[in-house]
Amino acid sequence: MSDPADLALAERCLAALGGAAEAQVTIVRERSLTCRFARSTPTQATAVDDLSVEVLVVIDGHTTAASTNATDPDGLAAVAERALRAARSSAALAGEPGAYPGLPAPAPAPALPDGWDQATAALDPAGAHRALAEAFGAAERAGAEAFGIWTAGAVSTTVASSTGTAAQDAVTDAHMRVICRREDGRSGFAAHTAVAAAALDGSAIAERAGARLTDTEPSGLPPGEYPVVLGAEAVGDLLAFLGVLAFNGLAHAEGRGALVDRLGTRVAAPCVQLGDAPRRTGGLPRTIDAEGVPKSELALIRDGVAQAVVHDTRTAARAGGDARSTGHALTGGGNPEGAVPTNLHLAGGEAADEQALAAPIERGLYVTRLWYVNPVQPQRTLLTGMTRDGTFLIEDGRIGRPLHDVRFTDEVLRILDATEALTAVPTLVTEADLYGRRFAYGSVCPSLRAQGFRVTGGAES
Amino acid sequence: MLDALQELTQAVPDSAYAEARWVRTRREAIRVRAGRLDGIEDEESEGVGVRVLHGGGFGFAATRDLSRAGLAAALARARAIAAEGREPAALAPLPESARGHWAGPCERDPFAAGIEQKIELLVAAEGAMRGDARIVSTEASCLALAEDWAFASSEGAAATQSFVQCGGGLQAIAVQDGELQVRSYPSAHGGSVAAAGLEHLDGLALVEQAPRVAEEVVALLTAPPCPSGRSTLVLGSEQLALQIHESIGHALELDRVQLGEAAYAGTSWVNPADIGSLRYGSAHLNITADATLSGALGSFGWDDEGVAATRTPLIVGGELRAALSDRVSAARAGLARSAGCARADGFARQPIVRMTNVSIEPGEAGGVAELIAGVDEGVFMESNRSWSIDDRRLHFQFGTEVAYEIRGGELGRLLRNPSYAGVTPELWGSLEAVAGPGEWRLWGVLNCGKGQPGQVAHVSHGAAPARFRDVQIGVAR
Repeated sequence: MSDPADLALAERCLAALGGAAEAQVTIVRERSLTCRFARSTPTQATAVDDLSVEVLVVIDGHTTAASTNATDPDGLAAVAERALRAARSSAALAGEPGAYPGLPAPAPAPALPDGWDQATAALDPAGAHRALAEAFGAAERAGAEAFGIWTAGAVSTTVASSTGTAAQDAVTDAHMRVICRREDGRSGFAAHTAVAAAALDGSAIAERAGARLTDTEPSGLPPGEYPVVLGAEAVGDLLAFLGVLAFNGLAHAEGRGALVDRLGTRVAAPCVQLGDAPRRTGGLPRTIDAEGVPKSELALIRDGVAQAVVHDTRTAARAGGDARSTGHALTGGGNPEGAVPTNLHLAGGEAADEQALAAPIERGLYVTRLWYVNPVQPQRTLLTGMTRDGTFLIEDGRIGRPLHDVRFTDEVLRILDATEALTAVPTLVTEADLYGRRFAYGSVCPSLRAQGFRVTGGAES
Repeated sequence: MLDALQELTQAVPDSAYAEARWVRTRREAIRVRAGRLDGIEDEESEGVGVRVLHGGGFGFAATRDLSRAGLAAALARARAIAAEGREPAALAPLPESARGHWAGPCERDPFAAGIEQKIELLVAAEGAMRGDARIVSTEASCLALAEDWAFASSEGAAATQSFVQCGGGLQAIAVQDGELQVRSYPSAHGGSVAAAGLEHLDGLALVEQAPRVAEEVVALLTAPPCPSGRSTLVLGSEQLALQIHESIGHALELDRVQLGEAAYAGTSWVNPADIGSLRYGSAHLNITADATLSGALGSFGWDDEGVAATRTPLIVGGELRAALSDRVSAARAGLARSAGCARADGFARQPIVRMTNVSIEPGEAGGVAELIAGVDEGVFMESNRSWSIDDRRLHFQFGTEVAYEIRGGELGRLLRNPSYAGVTPELWGSLEAVAGPGEWRLWGVLNCGKGQPGQVAHVSHGAAPARFRDVQIGVAR
């Protein structure tokens, strides 16, 4: 899916700079629809139609970025002038070359066959309203009310640079999540994410959420270490943090990443195969990063051995040696916070389903999803957070009685090292919080069983 | 622009209500890392968000097309996506429509000053943190934000306002033998930003404070760990601000209380019937939401539904008196009026219930020295490093950058990796004393997330150091 008009717009913006400096223009066009609901009734509907034009100017290794959503000639000239003026000032004031090595050379990005769905791009509210009504019906059949979101977006990204890059990527994404909640406050969660909105079956999603509700009173679980089955949503949460804490090329280069001195060593169980797979079917595919660098598959952990961290052009220069951009720029000129993988893929194992994962566990817990997770000790990948919307006791090999939510404080790499088995079919999961300009991303991961999950508190009330 | 918004909202066919909000934003961020200017971001955007109450449901559409045709198309889109629920949605009555102009405080326009002065300041401050090889990352940053706003509604609102925010901060990270420590100034998570101009950044004295930041982050590497157990805990005002934010501010958002945010941000341990009677904390706990505080990030003339700024006591003497509401949640609760807490993140997001400036009122305990003087054994913690709280805002665990032991009424050794955990009403019930007005100050929070699509709000919290008894400390190992 290419848009000649946006490429022409980018070229006009480059022309406005008059060849005065090395520059990249990025145009991101977003159209999206989000329908929220609570207590089985629609609450908020938001339609966004916007774009941003960002001009990145590089002078003597110093980058400045100016952006606007005005595309008239005056607006384009103004944004180019702002970027150029700031770059000249910063280069003059710094007195020494900056850290940016220069814009990447153009490279062809093979076309992506399945990142775009034309019907989804239509953003038809009728489809959303139908999915909501189906979810409300299924929740009622479960004796619950439905809470959640239906959202779809069509986002195109155009990157053009003075070094010859002219690349485009257009993707659609669709996501629906449902929490079925009863009057007593117990809740169950399910979600589905896909490239095409047609894949969002409101009834099926709500039925899965409702199936996590039981009539049994939840019990507490004292702090301690337990065997655990983590649902795919929970695994996805942990992997997202691992992306930031372990695979961030900047943190690694600065000596504060979790894989410092550990690349090439075993950091996880041999069954753990983790990579970044931006072009693989079943995820949210992307062809280029924010510098226009083509994306490709990258092994991060193979047979439990750490393989690589990810880079954009800036972090690769900071790392030195033979480090090169791996196509993980989040912003033009490289993200000041570093580069992180946004298409994590954890390979499935051999377990038929979550019950099969639970079968060997005499006493442990099942976790549907995590909540409000934050790092405690980043270099150790030590996190703390809560479980939410479906925490269950595993007894004698069966996922059974509900538990009150628990607090965990544990290391992601320790959990992966203690992983014993994974379900065979990974699924696409995402938090879908969609702050700022829409950038849908997620992890493809299975559920897993691990030993020694550290429960450090509870939320019994 | 205001004329176009008025024309649009006054001509809405068969809609019970329509509002249009134009927002033009400019944001400039400058960052110096590791001795190098690490990029300047200068963002501008402008657009209109149109919200309608149509057919019993709300619809909101945002556009950057400011022509009359563009605005009409956004209105049509908002009507098309609105969906009626089981009960028609409604808005609480508005005593008076927004009219006129309001401007926030700003002595020196941070954009007019140019970038040169800011770069020189940051380069000097960042340089003053470097030198020790154990410090692997140093960063000095500043932020400036300006927003112009116009609002009109089918109820006759026609108002404009303008805001300026400015500030900055320092952060150093040190690593040694697998230990990683962080120290920030004046506060974690982006530094100190206020509703003010360049005068606020200049007043932070970043260059003068930088050597202390470097010394402390290195000292933390070899400091003894924070002990575990139950102890008297004195929180510095920055950490107390976050404790208020997470365990009081969010818990008192009426949309959460009504389960409207259950799918994402979560609910609240407070029930609708609790308002007016619930004991939230000890008699020392007095909490106020105040959108009229000068210099605070949550202050305005009118909120994003056109409700005039107000000051609302939320908790008085430990008893819950009111919640944070917008016109939608207020109508659902049968309240006579909104508490004026509808805020939106730019033109492309619809207003939702947000904190304004939720603050603890100063107490009578003097300063930190007086708070500590009464403690035989305890810990003083300051500067947030990690935070987590459950979806009902009840069970929390926080870590701070720095702590000091308290022995015999005096501060003792520096402690590393401090943390504490608790349950909201138990912690606030154990509040023994709050320092007085002399140590009360505003802390800005720049990363408050809520809503779908996600919205980031800037809020401030006024806080003074406070003392709590019998708190679980040293919980995150």
